[in-house]
Amino acid sequence: MFRLDADPALLRETEEQRQLRSVLREFLAQTCGPEEVRKQAGSPRGHDEVLWHRLAGEIGVHGLAVPEEYGGAGGTFAELAVAMEETGRVLCPAPLLSTVVLAGHTLLDSGDRRACARWLPGIADGTLTATVAGFPQPGGVTAERGAGGWVLRGGADFVPDGAGADLLLVVARAPDGERLFACEPDPATCERTARRVLDPTRRQALVRFRGAPAEPVGEPQRAPDTVAGVLDAARAALAAEHVGGSAHALDAVLAHVGQRTQFGRPIGSFQAVKHRLADLLVEVEGARSAAAYASACLAGRRTDELPVAASAAAVACTAAYRLATAEYVQLHGGIGFTWEHPAHLYLRRARADEALFGTGDDHRLRLAGLLGLTGRIG
Amino acid sequence: MDGIPGPDEFRAQARSWLRTVAPARATHQEWGRGDDSVAVFENWTEDEERAHTERTRAWERTRHDQGWGALSWPAEYGGRELPAHYEQLYRAEESAFDVPRRTEIFPVTQQLVAPALRIWGTPEQKRRLLRPLLRTDELACQLFSETEAGSDLAAVRTRAVREDDGWRLNGHKIWTSGARVATWGVAVCRTDPEVPKHTGITVFLVRMDAPGVTVRPIRQMTGGSSFNEVYLDDVFVPDTDRLGPVGEGWRVALTVLAAERLDSGGLGLDNADRALDLARHLPRPLNDGERQQAADLFVRALVQRLIAVRVTSALAAGRAPGAEASVGKLHATATMRATTDLVQQLLGPRLAADTGEWGTFAWTEHLLGAPGYRIAGGSDEIQRNILAERVLRLPKEPKGAGR
Ligand SMILES: Cc1cc2nc3c(=O)[nH]c(=O)nc-3n(C[C@H](O)[C@H](O)[C@H](O)COP(=O)(O)OP(=O)(O)OC[C@H]3O[C@@H](n4cnc5c(N)ncnc54)[C@H](O)[C@@H]3O)c2cc1C
Repeated sequence: MFRLDADPALLRETEEQRQLRSVLREFLAQTCGPEEVRKQAGSPRGHDEVLWHRLAGEIGVHGLAVPEEYGGAGGTFAELAVAMEETGRVLCPAPLLSTVVLAGHTLLDSGDRRACARWLPGIADGTLTATVAGFPQPGGVTAERGAGGWVLRGGADFVPDGAGADLLLVVARAPDGERLFACEPDPATCERTARRVLDPTRRQALVRFRGAPAEPVGEPQRAPDTVAGVLDAARAALAAEHVGGSAHALDAVLAHVGQRTQFGRPIGSFQAVKHRLADLLVEVEGARSAAAYASACLAGRRTDELPVAASAAAVACTAAYRLATAEYVQLHGGIGFTWEHPAHLYLRRARADEALFGTGDDHRLRLAGLLGLTGRIG
Repeated sequence: MDGIPGPDEFRAQARSWLRTVAPARATHQEWGRGDDSVAVFENWTEDEERAHTERTRAWERTRHDQGWGALSWPAEYGGRELPAHYEQLYRAEESAFDVPRRTEIFPVTQQLVAPALRIWGTPEQKRRLLRPLLRTDELACQLFSETEAGSDLAAVRTRAVREDDGWRLNGHKIWTSGARVATWGVAVCRTDPEVPKHTGITVFLVRMDAPGVTVRPIRQMTGGSSFNEVYLDDVFVPDTDRLGPVGEGWRVALTVLAAERLDSGGLGLDNADRALDLARHLPRPLNDGERQQAADLFVRALVQRLIAVRVTSALAAGRAPGAEASVGKLHATATMRATTDLVQQLLGPRLAADTGEWGTFAWTEHLLGAPGYRIAGGSDEIQRNILAERVLRLPKEPKGAGR
């Protein structure tokens, strides 16, 4: 039976984390305001490469949770979660989730030291963007050993930042079962088609491999465990992002209802509005708690608790983000429904993200299985 | 006991002590055995309430005298000055043992009134009352609400008039939980009707056996009577039993109410866990919708616990907790509602008619009791007003006519 260990130190933000948060918030306020986000949302690559390098170089975001031997700062997931929350707050369109969380953790969790040494330093210093294919959405990629080494064939869809990433970590069916491969895509053997997306700040692509050269990563039998662990880390990271986005929505609505007057009163003085914002605060604080717990499980390597914590965070945070973005639009009235207003960008992010690693209901089903909430079977 | 034991060590110590004084709880060993009550408010006769209160008191005294009560309090009050969250660690261990369930009067006495007395009491009052309250030799109820002063507590009319070395109280309090067994009542009274309502209030500690105090039980929707109305007819209260300065009663009451909000964060968790156990043991497979509903309740309960951990974490670090301290009660009432909804779905007709099966019809007591906590201790709507105005800093409600 699952039992929460109530040691409060678990959820306490450290002084370093607080500092990181304030540095990042200030940095992003200057470099990644709504205009910049909108500009990048319409750009071909989808993010500003100068900002990407500054985030890596000046703040060291990419290497926060990368071990020192691979060029990182050797911190924990809790620091990375702070970065995800703050970038999520401004919808920073940098491919951190794909490069740092998905690809970075795949390399680390694969246990393949050679692969880590080869690519993690590039991820940590911002010179390499990377992503994963074949999961979370199952793909149809097969791997075969040719004369000149392994090659990949088949396709993977909905690949996050798939069109732009420099490195693809692919789950493919090899003769001896599912394995992980690393592929530096070359247009001659790897065709990448950017999909039209609901959330322009987070791109997706269809990737087709036509005999693309690739190298195996990690032991053959290890791929399923690696993928499972990476997905839970990604859920925790996304949960932190959702806390940031929800908190922004709440702040933006508070500012608006405080200054907009109708019927001779600020609309924020109407109880119908106040109570809805109180309910939103309740949801956001719940989401914050659940996200912090999932991060703490990763940071403290509490692997037994992680699947439950990650799915619980997904349930709490997707629900909060749904509510926050719906209220963001609604309580702004007509202006909230315009293309110019940023509210829809958050709503797009909230909904598109649910398609990445599972909706709240998907996670509820998973939790029921993990916790035995199934009644007596048979 | 020198030094502070680590959490694991502390829990192990608590467990081994508990084993020497209490039997294990049957439901923790085997589903379908032991007490299946999930009552939120008990349906007892006065005699049963008294008998149960005595059993609980005896347990609280054992705890206190053997160093397992008042954990975070200073030694002079019988405590061990442990960090605040050790109380939760202890409770988690205790829940596996068959000890008397605490009715409302116990948290009101130990978690609401004692801390308020520590803040507002005179040195003499603290010496005289704190230890007996923590040890539950004295039990205190809240004489706050009146028929015309519920959510708008500052509208209280119960009058206290100065007389020689004390005060003469006259008025009518209502919805007083535990008044039949309480030895003290914390009464919010009007001492100056001429000034704006919040400034004319003073709080008194009233002996419940003082001449002029009459307690009448009120039957509630559960069928039982855990709350009462209390008449105060010319009740004399010595000035040494005034809590806090004259005219500052509103701030004293707010101290109690804030503690109540904080304490409410744990409501409903035991029964949520029970409902999840039901989802595990139901003698048929759950469909997908039911699994999702059960998992959703699990997440709610987990989040409620995590919020409480964040609150203790802030307190333990010497910081005032932020918004997380105020959202707990709304989370708790939602958890209670979700518990009812899940049990309704899982039990179907067995919730509506008593087949005599263990752990089925007993849930009607949860179903009927849960709505009470959306009203008691500041209603859900008042909690939302508090969050909107004090945490989110939205404009205050417009005032109606009247003071
Ligand atoms: C089980 C139980 C135990 C209790 N125990 C005690 C006790 O031990 N001691 C004690 O003193 N009292 C106790 N109470 C009383 C409780 O504090 C009051 O019932 C509560 O404060 C509400 O007051 P009221 O009943 O007068 O309802 P009202 O204040 O009349 O409220 C009626 C409805 O109107 C809503 N409402 C009121 N004002 C507003 C507003 N400004 N904005 C929006 N909605 C509003 C309320 O939320 C509620 O839904 C208990 C109550 C219950 C149910």
